[in-house]
Formats: sequence, structure tokens, C-alpha cells
Amino acid sequence: MLGIMARKFIEAAAATDLGNVRQYNEDCIAMDPELGIVAVADGMGGHRAGEVASAMAAQIVLTGLRERLPELRSGTDQHSPLLAVEESINQANLAIWGAAQAHAGRLGMGTTLAVALFHDNRIVIGHIGDSRVYRLRGGKLQLMTRDDSLLRDQVDAGLISVADAGASHNRSLVTQALGVAERVAAHVRQVDAVPGDIVLLCSDGLNDLVEDADIELILQELRANLPLAAHLLVQTAKDSGGYDNITAIVARVRKPFPAARGWQRRLLGWQH
Amino acid sequence: MAKLVLSSGGSVVFQCFVDKERLGVGRDPTNQIVINDPSVSRVHAAIVAVGNDHILEDLTSANGTIVNGKRMSRRILQHGDVVEFGAFHLRYLNLKTATEVELDRTMLIEGIAEAQAGLPAVGEALPVPRTRAARIKFPNGRVHMFTGPRAGKTIELDRVVATVGKPGHRSAVLVRRPHGYFLAHVEGRGAPRVNGQPAGKEARRVNDGDVIEVADEKFQFSVD
Repeated sequence: MLGIMARKFIEAAAATDLGNVRQYNEDCIAMDPELGIVAVADGMGGHRAGEVASAMAAQIVLTGLRERLPELRSGTDQHSPLLAVEESINQANLAIWGAAQAHAGRLGMGTTLAVALFHDNRIVIGHIGDSRVYRLRGGKLQLMTRDDSLLRDQVDAGLISVADAGASHNRSLVTQALGVAERVAAHVRQVDAVPGDIVLLCSDGLNDLVEDADIELILQELRANLPLAAHLLVQTAKDSGGYDNITAIVARVRKPFPAARGWQRRLLGWQH
Repeated sequence: MAKLVLSSGGSVVFQCFVDKERLGVGRDPTNQIVINDPSVSRVHAAIVAVGNDHILEDLTSANGTIVNGKRMSRRILQHGDVVEFGAFHLRYLNLKTATEVELDRTMLIEGIAEAQAGLPAVGEALPVPRTRAARIKFPNGRVHMFTGPRAGKTIELDRVVATVGKPGHRSAVLVRRPHGYFLAHVEGRGAPRVNGQPAGKEARRVNDGDVIEVADEKFQFSVD
């Protein structure tokens, strides 16, 4: 039951574009702003299998969370929202992996995934691969995910400096993806959310070409018009080369969204 | 596949493909690339393959390693790089990465265990900078304010967006693009006016000399 929760506690907008070079858009979006779910997936694999993988990932995670949400929000389920996100990601992984095994042309297909679930004044962030989640708070942009990428590993292992990373050719090498193995280690965490926070989910086609400072500026200046913010983010990546598909979802917290607690619901029950 | 070409006095003396995880460079015959020059150390440098990159590392040689005229201890080799070893030049050629545009499709690869071991599974990370700065030329524009709180001021439009009007009530943005500036309505009732005419809510191009009104700000746009 969502009766206690005020409707529209977040507002969200999205934009996606083929870019200037690619033939197909293998990025995929799934969102349900009323429930507080947003997801981006960036597929890989030949014969257009990347599109299949990213669409499956986005859709299955959305469906999986929709199914788990009523219990989470009514407070009857003591399940953690982190677990709900992790289970939904694992579900998507198994489905894509199974579909790849069953179809010769799709063997090896996979996808990145970034998902955010707005629940109980928190944002649960799940991700695999190099799609990212950022949060803008007080005008400052913060990256909330660590890319599963060789370049990221090289920097963290001290093999190359952050300054040199821009000269690397390893940008497109991800170290984990959904659907390429029977099991996957999803990264799931939760952060607090306050009204005014803006969350950005994007495929690497955005953050590879648009500097964080420009992402920050666009989100901050366009916080009153999220559709225009999403559009301008994508347009800026296109104007800077647009070498890959580009996708951005922006979601803004409008008001607090505490989940109903079991005892609160019982209390209300007694009063009526 | 990447290739290395060793030359001296303008003539090629040796060439090979970079097909090993590690190639040693030095005077010692156990190196894969042997350079007979007295100023080259026995074990001078190594070229290590990591993913799509070949990283040149100076192995604390006596005379150092010079790439494109600059001394460095480590370098992610770029197509066309020339490394000096005494009187010899080693040129790195990699057509796959020769273009400015990187069109590689996303591929899955083994990560570096040590990099992941010490870290929490998730956590804020140092952002890796965006790809090599795209060589996109942007125009230089500015607005001169006639009215409103910034009256008399000239504001350079040197970022991707600049807000005009009254944020929170009625505002618009000027968007900088490679081929010019665009005005887009952001919030509030009523569209901006350009040269006295309503500009509509869709993004529209603005031209040198246009006079624009948004909320209580009236200003003139100019571009070089």
C-alpha cells in the first residue's frame, strides 16, 4: 500500500540519443517515477544483441523492484531495500545469461546497469559495469559509483595516474557486465536523500565526453526543468563528439519520503 | 596490432609487433629490443601491455628515457610517439588508436585484483577524467545587461549554459554550442522576448546584437 506516501515525491526526466557515429542505440531506460525507480543499461554484443541485453536488464530490474516494493513500503517485510535491488539485478543477470545460452547469435551479449531506488528517505544505488550514478547536492556533483573498468582498476592500483588516464585507450574495457556469467557481483549501497537532491544516471557516452564540471553546471542551472536538463546533457555530449550512444536520467527529490512503519500503521489502525 | 620501429640516422634497423605482455629494451642481449649504444643502460626500459594500452616505463636507466623530446619515467604510448635511446629512435605505431575518435565497442576484460582487493565493494571514487579533450571550437559570446540586478555588467558566456532572468520564478538559459548560442525557456509563465517579439518556449538561436528580455533582465547578446 502506498496510501500513506505522498504521490510524486520525486520527479524525473530522461533523454537518450544514438550519438553521431553508432548505427544502433544499445542504451536502454526504464523508469517509474511514482514508485521511485530509475534505471539505465548500456548493452554490448554483436548482431544487435546488445540492445536485447540492455532492454532485458532495464525491464527485469524495474519489474523485480515493482514486485518487491509493496511489501517493502508497507513495513510488513523486514527485507532490506538493498537486498531487493540485489535480487532484482541477479534476476536480470540470470535471464540475460539464459537467453544468451539459448541463442547462438547472442552468446556473449551483456550489459552494464545503473539503478536507483528511492525508498524511505534513502536512495539505494545498484550498478554493474561503467554506467554511473551521480548525486548533486548543494550545487556540488558527486560520483556515487566506482566503474567496473580496467582504467579504474589501473588508477586505483597506482599503475597510472588520474592525470594520465585521459590518454589511455582502455576506456571501453569493462571488468564486469550483466548476462555474461551465471553469477555476478552487483555493487549495491544506500545513501541518504534530502529534498533538492538531484540524481543522475548515465551511460558512458555522457561522462566520457562531458566534464564533471559541465554536468554539475547543467544540473544546477536546470534543476527547475529536468526534461531540459536531460536534453542539454545529451546534446552537450553530442556537440563534443557523440562517439557513443548517450543516455541520461535525472531525478529530483521533491519532498521527504519516509516509508510506512509497521508500528505506525498499527497505531493508525487503532486510532480509526 | 601495435608496431615498434627502431631506426638510426634515418634508416630502419629493426621492427617488431608488440605481441608480448612485456618487451624489454636495453643494451643487454636478453632484451627483446636490443640497442647497441653506449648511452643505453643494460636494462633500460620496458613496454608493458595493459588492455589496449602499451605503457613505456623507464627502469631507472642511467640516462633516462625521452619521449617526443621530453624525459619521462612512464608514458601511455600514443600512435606516432618517438622514444629516444641514445642515437636510436624507437617509433610506436598503433593504427587502432590513431584516430582521435575512439570507436572501440565495449568489451569485457579481467580486472586487476589488487585494485579491487583493498577497496570496499562500492564507494565514492576519484573520478577518472573524461576522454582526451575533444578538439571542439566554441564561439566566444557575452551579454551586456541593461536592467535588473546585474545592470551595467558584461557577462562572458564561456560555459555550456548561463542562466538569465529570475531563477525560481521566470528564467531562461543561454546554451553555448559549437555553431552558436541558443536561448531556451526554463521556468515561469511567459516566454523570453527577443528584439521585442515573444521567442517561444523552444530553444532558438540568438544572433549578434539581439536584445533579449527575461523577467526583469534586459540585455544585449554579442558574439565574436
